[in-house]
Amino acid sequence: MESPLPFDKGRDIILNKVYSNKWVILSLVTPAVILFISAIFAPICLSAYFGMTQYSGMGTPVFIGLENFRQLLFHDEIFWRSLGNAALLGFCFVCIQHPVCMIFAVLVDKVSGKLEKFFRAAYFIPNVISVAVIASMWVFIYNPDFGLLNSALRALGLGSAQQEWLGNPDMAIWSVIIVLVWHGFGWGLLIYYAGIKGIDTQLYEAAAIDGATGTQSFFRITLPMMRPVIRVNVTLAIISALKQMETVYLLTNGGPGNKTQFLANYLYQKAFSSYEYGYGNAISVLFVIVCMAATVLLNKVFKTKAEL
Amino acid sequence: MNFAGSNTKSRRITRGLLIAFMSVIAFVELFPLIWLVDFSLAKSGDLFASNILIAPNPPQWQNYYTAFVDGKVLHFLFNSITVNTITVIATILISLMVAYACTRMKWKLNRTVMNILLLGMMIPIHATLLPNFLIYNKVGMVDSIFALLVPYIAFSLPQGIFIMASFLESVPRALEESALIDGCGVYRIIFKIVLPITKPSIVTIAIMTFLNNWNEFVMAMTYLTSDKWRTLPFSVLQFQGQYASNYAVQFAVMALTAFPALIVYILLNEQITKGIVVGAVKG
Repeated sequence: MESPLPFDKGRDIILNKVYSNKWVILSLVTPAVILFISAIFAPICLSAYFGMTQYSGMGTPVFIGLENFRQLLFHDEIFWRSLGNAALLGFCFVCIQHPVCMIFAVLVDKVSGKLEKFFRAAYFIPNVISVAVIASMWVFIYNPDFGLLNSALRALGLGSAQQEWLGNPDMAIWSVIIVLVWHGFGWGLLIYYAGIKGIDTQLYEAAAIDGATGTQSFFRITLPMMRPVIRVNVTLAIISALKQMETVYLLTNGGPGNKTQFLANYLYQKAFSSYEYGYGNAISVLFVIVCMAATVLLNKVFKTKAEL
Repeated sequence: MNFAGSNTKSRRITRGLLIAFMSVIAFVELFPLIWLVDFSLAKSGDLFASNILIAPNPPQWQNYYTAFVDGKVLHFLFNSITVNTITVIATILISLMVAYACTRMKWKLNRTVMNILLLGMMIPIHATLLPNFLIYNKVGMVDSIFALLVPYIAFSLPQGIFIMASFLESVPRALEESALIDGCGVYRIIFKIVLPITKPSIVTIAIMTFLNNWNEFVMAMTYLTSDKWRTLPFSVLQFQGQYASNYAVQFAVMALTAFPALIVYILLNEQITKGIVVGAVKG
């Protein structure tokens, strides 16, 4: 902020000098840069190197060029199934979980008063609990013999609908998706709720005066005003679908038969269970590329719509 | 969203139905947790009796005692508190320093550095697990507290910097500038003047960092090889081997592990919700 007045010029010179002090800037920024390089940037580069080797974790790595990547992209059906599972999960997030979150965000807002805070908190409770607890709990719920789900089905007289929720290869992915959709409900609700709270109530009042019903208000006012929030939430959902690891690891570890495999879990398994450290790193590199590409793509897709 | 023109009685009935519906859904959503706590107070064999819920008579409180002692809950809890406190404080301080440098200081690279650091938000954590494990192994950092602190802080920084920078850009510089003219050094300005002003965003960063790292366990699982620095989620993970068939005690461990975060959430509900809303909507 340069000032044209002559007696302020002295002030500006001092400010300029202090604000441009190279040593201060360096000392302010260095800790973050060091942490960033050592914990994030350097490891990714190292991953790229190891991805081009065959390495069991012991002994010396053998350089094999792009062989791992060729294997992954063209001969590894588990890699592609992981991407497919992530796409399926993302689809379920956006088309099943989010509409429910939106409806309940509207309902929580409508309840108002003390109950609003109560319901808001109640719906969010699963999200403050560690994934370790949540996933372990669901393993018990899905237990075919004494688990909550099969017990409930028996109690309702639907004993024939009982399943081996995590053991059945065709059922397993849906069991995993159910847990993830259930778990993410609170977050989605909170974000949409924040969006709804940001809409000017005068719009609704004006609409009510014109005789609009609740449903009409929702589709003509709420939804359009929520477009930026929906965009953020959908992006978060799809990226989070790609990044799933902990829940899958604890529920099925990718099984049975790699049917519920996700990229992050797959790379972990390859490195620490199969001792194919080089291959695991190759998956890591592709994983980073997929995540970044998805982020950029989603931002582009939504930007175009907003600018129209 | 109140609608003019509907009579009071029908409005009350509608509201009553609304509350009933939402309560049912809340009950269904939270039922797994209720089931967990219910059977944590039962005898392990009761689980096979195929009731959905039972009233344990008498409630087996010793399950919790066993879980607490053999699950090493106190030790893991202490580690969690230590690691998280250091992470939150370090994240706040470093975020403040970088955000100040990028929004206030005049240098050519300030936009570039900011963008690169924010790029960190796009990188998935699990992609760094493999190489970091090797690095920490070579450097002898495996199984130390730094194996957790370094990645936790590093991954919390992009979000922290973003929140702090957004906030700083909306704060007027008048106070700092007059202090600078009076000969105050930049560091004193940051910690004596700017820090108190940025309290709201500090609270947001603290909450987001805490939520992201308290329940984290994959990095802890990979970088720690002994119980020395293992964090609270391990109470659940470790426990399964020894008491594999005593399900009630396992349930008790899970309830105990979930308890601290739940208490913090119930006590600080308002701040946490506000913090998430600010952090999420801005991100």
